This record gives sequence, C-alpha cells and structure tokens, in this order.
Amino acid sequence: MTIEGTQEYSINMGPQHPSTHGVFRMVVHLDGEVVTKVEPKIGYLHRGLEKMAESRTYTQFIPYTDRLDYLAGPHNSLGYVQAVEKLMEIEVPERAEYLRVIFAELGRIASHLVMIASGSLDISGWTPWSYCFRDRERILDFFEMTAGNRMTPNFVRIGGVSHDVPDEFMPALKSFLEDMPEMMEEYYGIFFGNEIAQSRMKSVGILPKELAENLLITGANLRASGVQYDVRKAEPYSIYDRFDFKIPVLYGCDTYDRHFIRLLEIQESKKIIEQAFRDIPAGPVMAKVPKVIKPPVSKVYHRVENPKGEMGWYIVSNGTTKPARVRIRTGAFVNVQMLDAIVKGWKIQDLVTIFASMDLVLGEVDK
Amino acid sequence: MDALNNLFVNIAAAIRGLFADSHSFSADLTINIIAFIILFLIMVVAALFLSLVERKFAHWVSQRSGPNRLGPHGWFQFIADAVKMLGKEDITPANVDKFFFKMAPMMLVGVTLMVFGVIPFGKGMVAIDLDLGIFYFFAISSLSTLAMLMAGWASNNKYSLLGGLRAVAQMISYEIPLLFSLLGVIMITQTFNLSAIIEAQETIPFVFLQPLAFIIYLIAGIAETNRAPFDQIQGEQEIVAGPFTEYSGLRWGLFMLAEYGNVVATSAIAVTMFLGGWYGPGFLPGWLWFILKIWLVIFLMMWIRWTFVRMRIDHLMHFAWKILLPLALVNIFLTGIGIYVYELLIARIGG
Amino acid sequence: MVSDSLRARVGELAVRVNGEVEESLGELELTVNDRYAVEALTSAKNFADVPCDFLHDLCGMDLEDHLEVVYQLSSLRGPQRLRIIARVERDNPVIDSATPLWKGADFLEREAFDMFGIQFRGHPNLKRIYMWDDFEGHPMRKDYVVESHEQRAVMRVRKEGE
Repeated sequence: MTIEGTQEYSINMGPQHPSTHGVFRMVVHLDGEVVTKVEPKIGYLHRGLEKMAESRTYTQFIPYTDRLDYLAGPHNSLGYVQAVEKLMEIEVPERAEYLRVIFAELGRIASHLVMIASGSLDISGWTPWSYCFRDRERILDFFEMTAGNRMTPNFVRIGGVSHDVPDEFMPALKSFLEDMPEMMEEYYGIFFGNEIAQSRMKSVGILPKELAENLLITGANLRASGVQYDVRKAEPYSIYDRFDFKIPVLYGCDTYDRHFIRLLEIQESKKIIEQAFRDIPAGPVMAKVPKVIKPPVSKVYHRVENPKGEMGWYIVSNGTTKPARVRIRTGAFVNVQMLDAIVKGWKIQDLVTIFASMDLVLGEVDK
Repeated sequence: MDALNNLFVNIAAAIRGLFADSHSFSADLTINIIAFIILFLIMVVAALFLSLVERKFAHWVSQRSGPNRLGPHGWFQFIADAVKMLGKEDITPANVDKFFFKMAPMMLVGVTLMVFGVIPFGKGMVAIDLDLGIFYFFAISSLSTLAMLMAGWASNNKYSLLGGLRAVAQMISYEIPLLFSLLGVIMITQTFNLSAIIEAQETIPFVFLQPLAFIIYLIAGIAETNRAPFDQIQGEQEIVAGPFTEYSGLRWGLFMLAEYGNVVATSAIAVTMFLGGWYGPGFLPGWLWFILKIWLVIFLMMWIRWTFVRMRIDHLMHFAWKILLPLALVNIFLTGIGIYVYELLIARIGG
Repeated sequence: MVSDSLRARVGELAVRVNGEVEESLGELELTVNDRYAVEALTSAKNFADVPCDFLHDLCGMDLEDHLEVVYQLSSLRGPQRLRIIARVERDNPVIDSATPLWKGADFLEREAFDMFGIQFRGHPNLKRIYMWDDFEGHPMRKDYVVESHEQRAVMRVRKEGE
C-alpha cells in the first residue's frame, strides 16, 4: 500500500481530556499539527434542568439554578429569581438588593479568576493558576461563611436573600478588596505580561466583530471583539443603575484580549462591590412573600449578564405552583459555536488556548 | 580535608589492593561493576529526590502547601511515591507493538545511565575517563530521541504518535545549538576529555569566558530534557502525555526516572563545561562542590520551568534555528578571535 | 418601556404577516403562523431606526394542541426588544430555519429539534445535540413519558462505529 502526500486524520478530544474543562468533547480533524475542522459534541453533562423545572415548584427550582454555571452560582439564581419576581411583581428590600449585587459580583470575580487560571494552565502556566485559585479561595470562603456552601451558595430567594450576612463578613470583604490591586499586579506580571504567554495568545484565533454578532456571541467574548454591550448597562436589572462602573472593551478580537478583558472586568466588579459596600443600608433582607408562590398566567423574558455570557430566563406561568415552561438561554451554550469558526488553520496547541479563551463551563453548556 | 577530598578515590584504591595484581582484568571488572551500581543508585535516588524537590519548589513558587504529610514537612513523600509506582498495575494495551513498547522505557533509562559513566564527580572520580568524553555524551544522548519515537510509535495512539514526532523535531533541532555552544569551550581547552576540561578551569570557570555559550547551553539543555517551557513532547494540556500516554506503573516510572536522570546529567555537563566542576573554596571536598553546583543549575531550570508558560511548536523551531544557532555560531567566531588575540599577546610577551 | 416607534413598526408588520400583537410586563409580543416566521424575523431585523437585529434566544414550547417556536429579539445598539412566536403544527412540525439570518441560530435550532422534534427547513446540520443520536422521542414535549428509575437503569449497548 502506498500513501501519497499527506493524510488528514482525526483525533477525539474529550470527554475525558485534561484541557476540555469538564466533559466537553470535540472531534478534531488535523493535517499534521494544523487543525482543519472541529466538531463540538456536547451533552455529556445534560441533566435536563428545563424538564426538571416543570415538575418542581418555583421555590424548589432555585438550588438547581446554582448548578448551571457552577463557578458563579449567585448570578444564575439572581436571573431566575428576578424573572419570577417580575411575574409576581414583588418588591425586594434594599439591603437584599445590595447583598445580591455583592454576591453576584463576587461570583463574577471568582468565575473570571478560574478562567484566567485555566487559560494559563492550558499553556502550562502552573504558577498563575495557583495564584488565581489562591485568591478565588477567599471568595469561596465568603460564600461558605454566609450560606454554608462554597460553590453553589443557594443564597438568593424569591423576595430577597435567605438570611443576612454574618458579622465577620464585612471586615473580611474589606480586607479582600484592599488586597485586590496587588493581586491584579501579580496576575499581570506572571501571566499577561509574560513574553511567551503573549506570543502564544496575541493575534491567535481572531473573532471579528461582524462574525461575533452573527454567531450571537455574548458576554466578555463579544466585548473583546469590539462591541461595547453589557446588559448591566443596557438594561439595568436589580440596582446596577446606581453604581458607577465602565464596560471594558477591547478591539484585538484575539485570544489575548479575550483573556485580558476578564482582568479588566474584575476591576470593574471590584468598583461595584466597593460602592455597594459603602452604601449598603441596614434593614430586612426578605420581602413579604406569599407562602405559596403562584404567579398569574403570564410570561416573562429576563436577561442577566452572567460571567460566561448573557443568560436569558423565559418563564411561562400557567397559574399553578409549577411553571409551564422554564427556558434557560445560557451564554456558554451559544458561545460554543465560535470554536469551529475561528480555529481553522491554527495548530492543535492553539486549539487548546482558543478553547480556553471561550470560557466555557459545561454546567452551562449542557444545562 | 585531603582525605575527605580523595575519599572515594582511596576506597577504589583499597578495593584494588584486595587483588593480587591491582590492574588485572578481575580488579577492573569489580571496580566497574561497583561504579555501575553506585551510578545507578545515584541516578535513582537523585531522580526520586528530585521529583520531591521539584514539587516542593513548585509549591514554594506558587504559594501552595505541597506534600506535607509524610515525615517532617513531607520530606519522605518520595518513598511513598516510589512504592506506589511499584505497586501499580502494569498495563500493556491491546494492539501495541509489544517489543518496542517494552523496549522504549528501558532504552531511555539505559541511555541516561550511560551518560553518567563519563561525568567526573571529583578529581579522579570518573567511571570511565574517556578522551572523547563530551563527544560520547552527545552521541549517547541523541539516542534518547529514538526511544521517544519508539514509545510514540509503538503505543498505537494518535496522541502518542504526535508526541513522538514532536520529540524528533524538537530534540534533533536543539541538539545542534547545544553542540555548538560547547564548541567554544573545546576550542579553548583543545580537548574532549571532561576531566581535562575541568582542570583547565582551575583559575577561572568558563562561564566568565563564555557567558553567551552558557545561556545557549542552558536553554538548549532545557529543551533537550523536555522541560517547560519546552515540554511540547508531553504537553499534557494538548496531547495528554505524548509518548507516555499509554504507559502505566513501573514503565511510566522509568520514563520519569530517565527524565530526572537527564536533568541531572545535563546539569552535570553544564557544571563540567562552564562552572568549574569540582573546584571551589577549600572548606568543602571537591565532589561536594560538584554536587552543589549541579543543584544550583537544577534550581535554575526549575525556576524557569515554574515561571514561564509553554512555547508553541513553531515558535520553538523558530527559536532553535533562527536565534540560538546563529548566536552559537557568533560565539564560536568570537571565541576564535579571542584565542587568536590571546596567542598573539602571549607571543608578544614571550618574545 | 416599549417605545412608540417600535410599537408602530410591529403594528405594520403584524398586518403584513397576519399576526397578533400583545403587550405584557413591558414586553412586546408578535404571534404569527409558521410560514410567516422567517418573513417576520427578516423585517424585524431590518426595522428602520429600531432594528431588532440580535436573536437573543430561540426555543421550543409545547402547548398540548400545538407547538411554538419562540424568538427573543433584541439589539446591541438599542433597548428595543421583541418576542416573535411562531405557531407550529404538532403532528408535522416544520418551520423555516433562521440560520441564513443568524449563523448562531444553529445550535439553538438543534436544541429545539432535539427537545421538541421541530424540523427546521434549510438547517445545515440538524442533528440531536444533547441526547444521543438513537434516542427515541423528544423529552421536552408534554406527552413524553418520563421512565421510572428502574426502567431507566437499563444499560445501553454501544453500537458499532460510534
């Protein structure tokens, strides 16, 4: 048998592969080391959350929402709970709103830290990974001291939050905020400023603005492609309109910018938490909510800016205690589509970097 | 101090003294077998210990706790690791090329061990004092490329094959700057003998005469030993573990042994060629100086490993052929000029 | 919350595609029949001064007597939002694909196909996305029978070439 020229061959990456961040699977077609095509295969973590929601009451479903993007639990529940509150027309007490924002933004910082960490780990940067996880640990400690759970706090409730924060929370948060600038410098020094890391990421995996919009990419990935859009500003939910923060935007469209924008967003989140920390009033943390949540026949679509992309909650109520339909639009699920569009022609090593820069979490992709 | 300095040399002489004719074949054989066993033990213990030191160092750099359960501050962890590795099931997957699959790790360890044979650990403390010592080092260490390719090919796994081919591309490329970086030293000393090269450094280590060559050697040496930022061959984030993907238990352990053995060997050559070998202030015996200098180079390599991220394969080749190789050639050229000027001056002063 | 200009545009569109407009909780909703869905989407995408040019979500919905495809439109350049609901027959759920308008509708339509069995005409790669390829039925339909735990614990045998 003779083989002339080169032969394309395909490699199965995942679902058990070190750098697919969970149980993502992709079939990679290679020409030597150059990627010609990627077929994402998802569904290995599909738990049928939408189906589950139909057989549970509105309150019973809240813990499940934490499991969507398990790296930033509070923001998921925030989106769901606010959608239900819109249906029920419930007013939430001030202190609860501030606590929600603080927790949501802490979750965002934790999620972005994991993203930077795993992004650096995918190009073998063990030390930046360790630094990021060291600091994320402190955020998880906040969740633990308040709600008892570390990654899935299940803190937000319909009408407020489950309970007030303990006394030691605020001083700990203060010292965390004070340490943050130093942390940022460390991440920049060891990872973003690193010559080799820059050569690995700069101008790799370009996602142009038009393509990003056409592929319905949302969240930080879109902002790294030069679109200044953030639901927190465009359509402020909760009390985000009270805070002074910027929407970072980068125009490089490459892997480096998709990593770097997370660092900028952490800084903006820090600003929000600082303002919330300064302004938080005393008072109750739970509104008067009926014992049985029974929204009128209606439907609502509520969007929140999740760390991984925009999350949409479409809830259709049929007047009973259980929803007729809960549709979860997750950012990461739609963002998967950019992989095949931008990876062509890059090497298998770049595939890993590009995949990391998309910031997927499989709990959100597979629902 | 003199007794301590010549401790091992005297032991060898004493053993020879046990024979009727101290230079008979049986005496040589006994000495060589003892030297072999000692070198093997040095390699195994160094590799095991190094695996622990590496982890300790990594945890120190990246502010984690690290292994801290077994013994004082976890310093006995490497024993547990070794026992665990020995106890693991040895899996030979179906459809592999059994002969080459089993050969590859043994060959890699054998090659590494052979390199240790010419390293002069102290004055007179060398198993085989070859006149072509450095030449032998290159000839033998090139064989490890073959072992990597064998492992990658025989595993019948696409990731392994990719890793094996990367190994060939990378290690052959980096051998050239590695070799060229040492040529300057050889031009100065006019010898391939490692002991003679060290003796030439009694007044000044060659790192001061050949700083560029030392840096090139260190970079290329890291690439030759497949450590970050040049660890494409294993590249666990993209090709799982490269040629080692299908190995388990002791066979995998042999690969690790060879890797750390290679690190020690490369550092030893660096010490021999650039850092003045066993010479050092007189309060410590020469062989201890040699070992301390090896550790210094190893720490340098670890520091680099835990600070930098992995390069891309095409940048890697670019770096070898377009940056390191020309620099090494420049170094040879400058050395030539330096030697010419030096000889001219000597002739002037002498005349 | 709904701007007058958007309301006017949607009104015009509703007449053209024979649809009904509803407004609840500050959201505008246009219900059309399946054959007008893509026409409505195209016009909404190209509305003058209030283009709803970002398909935020696409999902299926089972209403026992018919299925629905729900499109949530928004824009990256303004606050306008619009929900277009396309009614689809339950027995023969076929609708034109939105992938020519937005490439990103690909996965969303595959999910709706997987969960509700809605066929998208013109979709480049209409395969199951969450469930495995030989899975029977569409789990999000209301008449899908959720098996008991004992029934589910049957091992599935891998087929050749999977």
